[in-house]
Amino acid sequence: MGFAIIKFVVESFGEINGWNYGQLAFLYGLSVISHALSMIFFVQGWFMGYYVIEGDFDRYLTRPLGVLYQFFFTNINIFGVTDLIPGILVFIYGCVKCEVTVNLLFILQVVVILVGATLIRGGIYILLGSTSFHTRSAVDFGQYTQEIMDKTTMYPLSMYPESMQFILTYLIPVGWISFYPVSALLGIDSAYNAMLVPLITLGVGILVMLVAGAYFSMGLRKYGSAGN
Amino acid sequence: MIDVQDLSKDYMQKHKDPGLSGALKGLVKPEYKVVHAVRDLSFHIGEGEIVGFIGPNGAGKSTTIKMMSGILTPTKGRVLIDGRDITKHRKEVVRNIGVVFGQRTQLNWDLRLGESFELLKHIYQIRQADYDRTLDELDRILGIKEIIDKPVRQMSLGQRVKGDLVASMLHSPKVLFLDEPTIGLDVSAKFALRKFIKEINRVRKTTVILTTHDLGDIQELCERIIIINHGVMMEDGNLSQIVDRIAPYKTLVVEYYDEAAPEHPRCEMILHEGNVAKYRFLKNDLTAAEIIADLSKVKTIKDVSIEEAGIDDIIKVAYGA
Repeated sequence: MGFAIIKFVVESFGEINGWNYGQLAFLYGLSVISHALSMIFFVQGWFMGYYVIEGDFDRYLTRPLGVLYQFFFTNINIFGVTDLIPGILVFIYGCVKCEVTVNLLFILQVVVILVGATLIRGGIYILLGSTSFHTRSAVDFGQYTQEIMDKTTMYPLSMYPESMQFILTYLIPVGWISFYPVSALLGIDSAYNAMLVPLITLGVGILVMLVAGAYFSMGLRKYGSAGN
Repeated sequence: MIDVQDLSKDYMQKHKDPGLSGALKGLVKPEYKVVHAVRDLSFHIGEGEIVGFIGPNGAGKSTTIKMMSGILTPTKGRVLIDGRDITKHRKEVVRNIGVVFGQRTQLNWDLRLGESFELLKHIYQIRQADYDRTLDELDRILGIKEIIDKPVRQMSLGQRVKGDLVASMLHSPKVLFLDEPTIGLDVSAKFALRKFIKEINRVRKTTVILTTHDLGDIQELCERIIIINHGVMMEDGNLSQIVDRIAPYKTLVVEYYDEAAPEHPRCEMILHEGNVAKYRFLKNDLTAAEIIADLSKVKTIKDVSIEEAGIDDIIKVAYGA
């Protein structure tokens, strides 16, 4: 659906902000794949508030494993695969259109980007979810997060005002999910090094996860279980 | 085994005035009230003890047990299990504890009971031989294997609690925490559960800490009780000694042939209904035989019985009822 709109816009105007149709497909596809991966592994983060108010972390806390680890891996969402397939199709289509040379290096770069991007998304879910420890209410952040992430990762970030770009690069680093790595990988902006940017994405992913983990642990100290 | 030192837990409770103005005020400048759920609890529990926590609803029993089992982080103080702080070393320390909450389950609703056990086997990395032996042993006491293939969702409460008990003992913990384990159970399920607790305590020397509102549980299981009210420890000690101290009396129930009942100078008549009268007297002061002798001089007695002061009397005193 989202991609049909892009197709329509591009067909009407030729390109978006200097990005042609193939490049947009590449960007869109990569973004959807990392979205699907985050849905498979980290979708629980959306529902953290319910766990907090229902006292469902009790069970994880009495076991000799990390709480976040148990929280995510006892609830792996296989249905996330349904998003994975269209993502891969659009991505392959984009690769063909952009005539990228698929070699080992390219595959490695894409994998590194996807791992980093999935960690960024997952970390943001955890950060948002962990606010429930302080508010003690269950707000389902899923929809808002999804809206923001869709709009910022499936289109080129350069079409937004500069202040927005700054925020989406440094404060909420969703720019690193797809925009910067794709700009680098496809050589759209020569300022970005194709070797370096995927590693930055991975680094940002790990950093966001670490911050999210620390914030979650802080929240867990305030965890109040549920009365009975 | 367990050392609890100055354990306290405060909650911040948002105070809100009623009405729209109150809601707005709460939004702009929220006022918080500190609620002291548990205050400065200190006690020591030795290996192999069975300790009962009693107190009215909201007294802080569950909060205490949740801090002792690593679920809640204390505001102040600490809990040492085998000399190690559970808040600081949660992952290692919880290997030595098992936890059962009567009102929630650690079993997975979507799995068969046996599958939940298998999952725990992997979580605690229990060796197959140990796992089989423990399961056999627990099965002998509780008869769990007949329901092992049943999905947890379809279980009765009694079966589910049995399943939870076994699940909490699979990794052979040294300490077992039970929060209202008998709540809502029928008599035979309660009986099975008490037998189980006594058996694992006897055979495995498992230390058991339980909260309950069931006096039968206390009477059957606990030598030592800790009474908590308003988050503060009211009593800690040997059950019969506490009974003797707080309620050092017995009650003599006398039935006469008619409704007139004589008073006794050294007893308090606490009930007079129809042909029956109840006399309460101090155990050390008087014997039932003396009272019967005195009363029968005045009036012919049809029947007598003696009621011992029990836990319910202590609870009435402790709860301020």
